[in-house]
Amino acid sequence: MPPSWLDESRAAALEIYEREEVPTWRRSGFWTTSLRGLDLDALEPRRYEAVAEPPEIVGPQEDLAALIVQRGGSTVYAWVGDERITVMPLEQAAEEHSELVQRWFAKRLPAGEGKFEAANAAFWTGGAFIHVPRGVVVDKPIQVIYEIEDPGTAQYARTLGIVEENAEARIREYCVAPDFEGQALHAGAFELYLEQGANVKLAHFQDWGSGEVHDISVKRVEIARDALCTWVPIHLGGKLTKQTLDIITAEQGADMRHYGLYFTENDEHLDLFTTDLKEAGPTSGDTIWKGALTGASRASYEGLIQINKGAQDTHTYLQTHSMLLSPKAKGDSIPSLIVETDNVSASHGGTVGELDEELVFYMQTRGLTRAEAMRILVEGYFEPVVQKIEDDQLEEIVRGRIAEKLTAASDEVAQYIEAR
Amino acid sequence: MSLEIQNLHVQTDEGVEILHGVDLKINKGEIHALMGPNGSGKSTLANTIMGNPTYEITEGKIIVNGDDISEADPDERARAGVFMAFQYPASIPGVSVANFLRMAVNAGREEPIKVLEFGKVLRENMDLLRIKPEFTKRYLNDGFSGGEKKRAEILQMAMLRPEFAVLDETDSGLDVDALRVVSDGVNALQGEEMGTLIITHYTRILNYVEPQFVHVMLDGRIVREGGPELGRELEDLGYDPIREEVEANAS
Ligand SMILES: Nc1ncnc2c1ncn2[C@@H]1O[C@H](COP(=O)(O)OP(=O)(O)OP(=O)(O)O)[C@@H](O)[C@H]1O
Ligand SMILES: [Mg+2]
Repeated sequence: MPPSWLDESRAAALEIYEREEVPTWRRSGFWTTSLRGLDLDALEPRRYEAVAEPPEIVGPQEDLAALIVQRGGSTVYAWVGDERITVMPLEQAAEEHSELVQRWFAKRLPAGEGKFEAANAAFWTGGAFIHVPRGVVVDKPIQVIYEIEDPGTAQYARTLGIVEENAEARIREYCVAPDFEGQALHAGAFELYLEQGANVKLAHFQDWGSGEVHDISVKRVEIARDALCTWVPIHLGGKLTKQTLDIITAEQGADMRHYGLYFTENDEHLDLFTTDLKEAGPTSGDTIWKGALTGASRASYEGLIQINKGAQDTHTYLQTHSMLLSPKAKGDSIPSLIVETDNVSASHGGTVGELDEELVFYMQTRGLTRAEAMRILVEGYFEPVVQKIEDDQLEEIVRGRIAEKLTAASDEVAQYIEAR
Repeated sequence: MSLEIQNLHVQTDEGVEILHGVDLKINKGEIHALMGPNGSGKSTLANTIMGNPTYEITEGKIIVNGDDISEADPDERARAGVFMAFQYPASIPGVSVANFLRMAVNAGREEPIKVLEFGKVLRENMDLLRIKPEFTKRYLNDGFSGGEKKRAEILQMAMLRPEFAVLDETDSGLDVDALRVVSDGVNALQGEEMGTLIITHYTRILNYVEPQFVHVMLDGRIVREGGPELGRELEDLGYDPIREEVEANAS
């Protein structure tokens, strides 16, 4: 039986969901993200039987501390290898650890924010709950996977993580789908809380394949006193993605590192908004996002640094770069800043560029072909971010996928360069 | 075996002619020096030899071992055995020196070089150029000092073993010790194996690497040619006497 607080929370969220219109997101300039092309009514949560083996992408299970796999609306695999931690479907945790879950659930991610936040809060199933108790240091990654197996799926994914005082953990969340034909929706909600002195390395990996997966998600991380979160989100594909990623340094001494990467191709549409929110000081932060675009894809990244009143002695930096590899691709890269206090240092910068012809020439004089030079330059451009993942298994996946995408795009890029 | 430049006229992509008919022949085993004041067209010549798309050949040709390479892509020229050490080497963030060298070496081979063999050759060349091992882990030219960049260029030359090398002001920005190291490197690679064109303002490097031929370029033309004594003359008198002579002849 789900606890009554959860039933109430779902009912309240449903009301909001029914009241709210399907939103359209606009930004200055050419940018609009619209769900006009998505037939929401044709989608439904799909159920799947449990599986005996985890999916291939996770690698050897013994390299993990725990693993939750959700396919469509069902948890199909759950395993914990480290007895000191609690990792289970969020549905199960709401029953077995009702008080603990209630204390944190939706603390920073209320259903009232919008249509899809409400949809998630009303309809989520399965989900993942991660609890690392005080002082526990977990070396191996805790892994969560959301898979969409078939078109027609609406997946409401919800992850709640709590890493207690002075605990340390690595958390990876993968969102993946095979290449299929047809539409699907992933409405995700991810919340992670770091208590005092905790240290978390967090990675998100999104690769929805060539199907028409629409991903409307919010991810939020709250960092308490003297805790540190290093967060590396990787976006490698999806028909339409609208994500909000926020890191909140909530107490003094909290520290964050945020390094992101995206690669869009064909007619993909990617809309990312990140916030580095400073609620207290002194705190610090560093954000770097890098993207590359091929085909007729669209990618817009906006990164906001917001320093609230009371967050004095804050030092934070944000840089964003985007590289256009096709004449039909369109992208922007917008850093912004809101500062409500004094005695802070915050700097931000953004660029949109193309492949540097001077570098291509330099490499060609060493015998490398134009296509090789391009591949090396784009890989080199991403490499500083890829290295921040600090996770060999995931780094290999990311490098491999980028190389594949570059190979797929190399003719197009060569034509583009020639035409200039 | 030679690198031959015949009546080369070159203009920029904006249509301004910079080289007005340059002739130069470098045989294997020879060292040539090309000297000239700022803006006379030395780097333009070097870049055109390598096929920089910024420059267009409107007349004349570039011939390597009998083959006309005037239309070839830069990478084809490299594989034909031509190398240039850049005056201002570009930095390639994200690509380590070792990785880049391995890719460049493999670009000129049918079969990729064995890891051990590559490591051995790399170490030998680094010893030759007195480069510290840590150096190869850094991103190529990224944050390198002026002198480190020049050494990295010569390290690439040593790894690629070109038949013809154009060194565009490799000496500028080097202190005396570095200059000696780089010169020793060039001398060690030179032998009968390579034809070398050293582009320079200063006669300093010519004390370490002795050219048999010196060419003086002024306003896109080679206006004087001679032996090592021409280099010494320039050291003493500068370019003014030559410039006056050229202007007198013209009028
Ligand atoms: N891409 C270009 N576009 C326009 N002008 C150019 C270009 N490249 C070279 N030039 C001009 O051509 C002339 C020759 O330049 P170049 O760089 O070849 O001289 P240099 O002899 O190498 O000079 P330095 O000794 O200063 O290196 C200069 O006047 C320069 O401004
Ligand atoms: Mg020059």
